[in-house]
Amino acid sequence: MEGYLIRKQEKKMFCPRCDKDEGIKCADAPKDHSWELYRCRYCDFVWRSTEKESIKNRELYDPIFKLNEEKIREMGEKPAIPPLKTK
Amino acid sequence: MPFKDLREFLKRLESEGQLLHIEKEVLPEPDLGAAAYAAGKTPGGPALVFENIRGYDQKRVALNVHGSWENYALMLDLPKNTPLPHLFQELARRWDRFPISPVVVRKAPLKETLITEDINIFRELPVFRVNEYDGGPYLSKAVVASKDPEDPKNQNLGIYRLQVKDKDRLGIQASAQHDIAVQLRKAEEMNQPLPVAIAIGNDPVVTLVGGMPLKYDEDEYEMVGAIKGAPAEIIRAETVDLMVPAGAEMVLEGEIVPRKRSVEGPFAEFPGFYSSTMRQAEIKIKAISRRKDPIIFENLYIGKPWNEQDYLLGLVTSVTLYKQLKAMAPEVVSVNAMYCHGQGTIVSTKPRIAGFGKIVAAKLLATPHGLVYPKVIIIVDEDIDPFNLNEVMWALLTRFRADRDLVLIPNTPASTLDPAGHPRGLTTRMIMDATKPVPPDIPLEGLSVVTPPPEASEWMEELSRQIGKTRT
Repeated sequence: MEGYLIRKQEKKMFCPRCDKDEGIKCADAPKDHSWELYRCRYCDFVWRSTEKESIKNRELYDPIFKLNEEKIREMGEKPAIPPLKTK
Repeated sequence: MPFKDLREFLKRLESEGQLLHIEKEVLPEPDLGAAAYAAGKTPGGPALVFENIRGYDQKRVALNVHGSWENYALMLDLPKNTPLPHLFQELARRWDRFPISPVVVRKAPLKETLITEDINIFRELPVFRVNEYDGGPYLSKAVVASKDPEDPKNQNLGIYRLQVKDKDRLGIQASAQHDIAVQLRKAEEMNQPLPVAIAIGNDPVVTLVGGMPLKYDEDEYEMVGAIKGAPAEIIRAETVDLMVPAGAEMVLEGEIVPRKRSVEGPFAEFPGFYSSTMRQAEIKIKAISRRKDPIIFENLYIGKPWNEQDYLLGLVTSVTLYKQLKAMAPEVVSVNAMYCHGQGTIVSTKPRIAGFGKIVAAKLLATPHGLVYPKVIIIVDEDIDPFNLNEVMWALLTRFRADRDLVLIPNTPASTLDPAGHPRGLTTRMIMDATKPVPPDIPLEGLSVVTPPPEASEWMEELSRQIGKTRT
């Protein structure tokens, strides 16, 4: 039950960069609960609870840096994955 | 050389007035990136050590350690006011000591703590977002050790940007021109992971050499020994078959996952622009060895030049290209590759034959760094100091003939970080041969260069004395 609740809570966090509801908490501050770190399971964006609104708030995140499924699909590979060598 | 590790060097910087301790509490963002930028922009900029980072206990952050010529000179155990030309000559002189073999040690503070379970980089290091739109926190000054899967004696050290994506997962930029990309290709062709060891908080010369564009089979540890004048101390990693710098604060051990690419970036890079976001390789961290707290996390501000990145990479790239070019063309006198990581490179040379400047430029392109970086190449005569841009401009404006001395090579490889690439990763190289034409080329008309009046030097001394009297 507890795990279900946590999962439900995680689902409510939207990634400021790609707008997917895939944001989860990935770390707490080692001291004084000063902040929480979150990461997006879809685009790997990482942000901290103490950052500016322009970083945390998906409505305010700079559109130039926004990602979506199409952009990710069309991204280049670096470096390119080589063909497997057959023995 | 007096420094065994970063801690000893920081003490030296402090004794020379080149280090500031920041005691007040700071936020990881935006304070650390902003302060590092400011330190790099400050003439004679000091290193900064942050003692109190919100949310962390027993962790410190060191920034701008290489971020001024004063710090750079002290790293080489020279007086902090050593002029830049002397730094160049001294590095070139020490280069000739290469190779000096490293020594393997059995004990090091690095081995005080070993973590193999519950890996959590966010707990172990006060990582932070360097620039506002970076895709996350980055390790921007770590030195990565890896080796050729087909030739295990061939180990490499390099500085590659590392995005902290999760507690035990890093993105790595393994650009095609870098040695680790060659190793990764070989591993991936066999569907094997590539083991890596990531050293954080290093002897400043280890970091310096990590940024040198050495040849693939040249050993960075042997170059560390040459630059220091004493063997590098190395120690075996715990879980991977790699040697790491014994003086490091911390080493992350793991492997590049074969045949996997995922979203990485953007990251503010050396041209002063954000990189594009691409699908790049990933590292899984499986062990951490480190000193007891407090750990010093050393990181690098990267952005619009000039900043620490340019001090760290500029001169050592110049000297590396000088030595590699000199081996191919003994007539080469000096190289300045300090602009945007050598995307702008100026070479001075003695004449050998008509049109020789263009051949020198071609040889520059034949170096490891030349594979992608130099795209604006200016060749000047030996009477021009490539580090004096007034002299370089004079040569361009009086010796360069666009109809005969301009060479464009279109569709050549470029760094994907160059925002002018179209598409990114391809560029046109421009060679401007600003050397005086020699026969059978058509000599410049009116070659009577105006020489300074012989009495001018006496007058300069006299004027300096007079100005000194006025100002005291």
